[in-house]
Amino acid sequence: AVQKAIIRVIPLKVEPIVLEGEFANVAEVTPAEGKLLQSHPLSLCNTSEDEHTESGFITIVKLEQPDRDPNPCLSLANKAKLAGERGARAILFDITDDESAADQLRKPRGLSQPVVLIRGHDAELLMGVVNKNREAHVKIEVKEPPAWPDYDVWI
Amino acid sequence: VHPNVSQGCQGGCATCSDYNGCLSCKPRLFFVLERTGMKQIGVCLSSCPSGYYGTRYPDINKCAKCKADCDTCFTRNFCTKCKSGFYLYSGKCLEKCPDGLEANNHTMECTSIVH
Repeated sequence: AVQKAIIRVIPLKVEPIVLEGEFANVAEVTPAEGKLLQSHPLSLCNTSEDEHTESGFITIVKLEQPDRDPNPCLSLANKAKLAGERGARAILFDITDDESAADQLRKPRGLSQPVVLIRGHDAELLMGVVNKNREAHVKIEVKEPPAWPDYDVWI
Repeated sequence: VHPNVSQGCQGGCATCSDYNGCLSCKPRLFFVLERTGMKQIGVCLSSCPSGYYGTRYPDINKCAKCKADCDTCFTRNFCTKCKSGFYLYSGKCLEKCPDGLEANNHTMECTSIVH
């Protein structure tokens, strides 16, 4: 079963929004919190060691359609791993344009930073925050399954 | 065309998208990552900006930042101008010049001792 994630996005100057995503099995299912930073897909390559970003951030990567990046420098699992090594506390992948990403990130790899997939309207809202704000804070929570509904059992 | 794919790409992009900017560059141009606030986009330039060095790979030409103690460089390991407080010697940035050399505070380089 897919473990849902609650993503609370708190921009600096505007109202917070609450989005939903799903944890990818490639990593641990665990909460995380930090400053939101967008990463270009090509920034997560071994040839791009240029960004000296302080650690403790949560990165969002907007994935493009697969045919637009025919020879990716790393697999998505290794991009997530690299982001964690560079200080990311969690990695959000916007997979609206690349649903195959969900399959690529299904195989458990035990990455310690959670990987969360987001798509569609939720992803559009999140990228809208990135485009229109200078800074935002993000809290990722594990969405609890609904409590067992109370049935009136008559014997 | 997909809504998120830019109709017209900026500058030297070969392919691009609204959220990520350039995804690939036209021939011979360098791909640079630019961060503004939360956003990070790709741009394509004819040469790398100051503080960056260029590397040509088979599938992409990329700019990457010089080391933290270096202002301008040829490659990651060959600096041409150090940040303030460092002296340049053989492409390296040193806080103190090696024995036998003296620190020139004008050029911020380590030079031979003139007797």
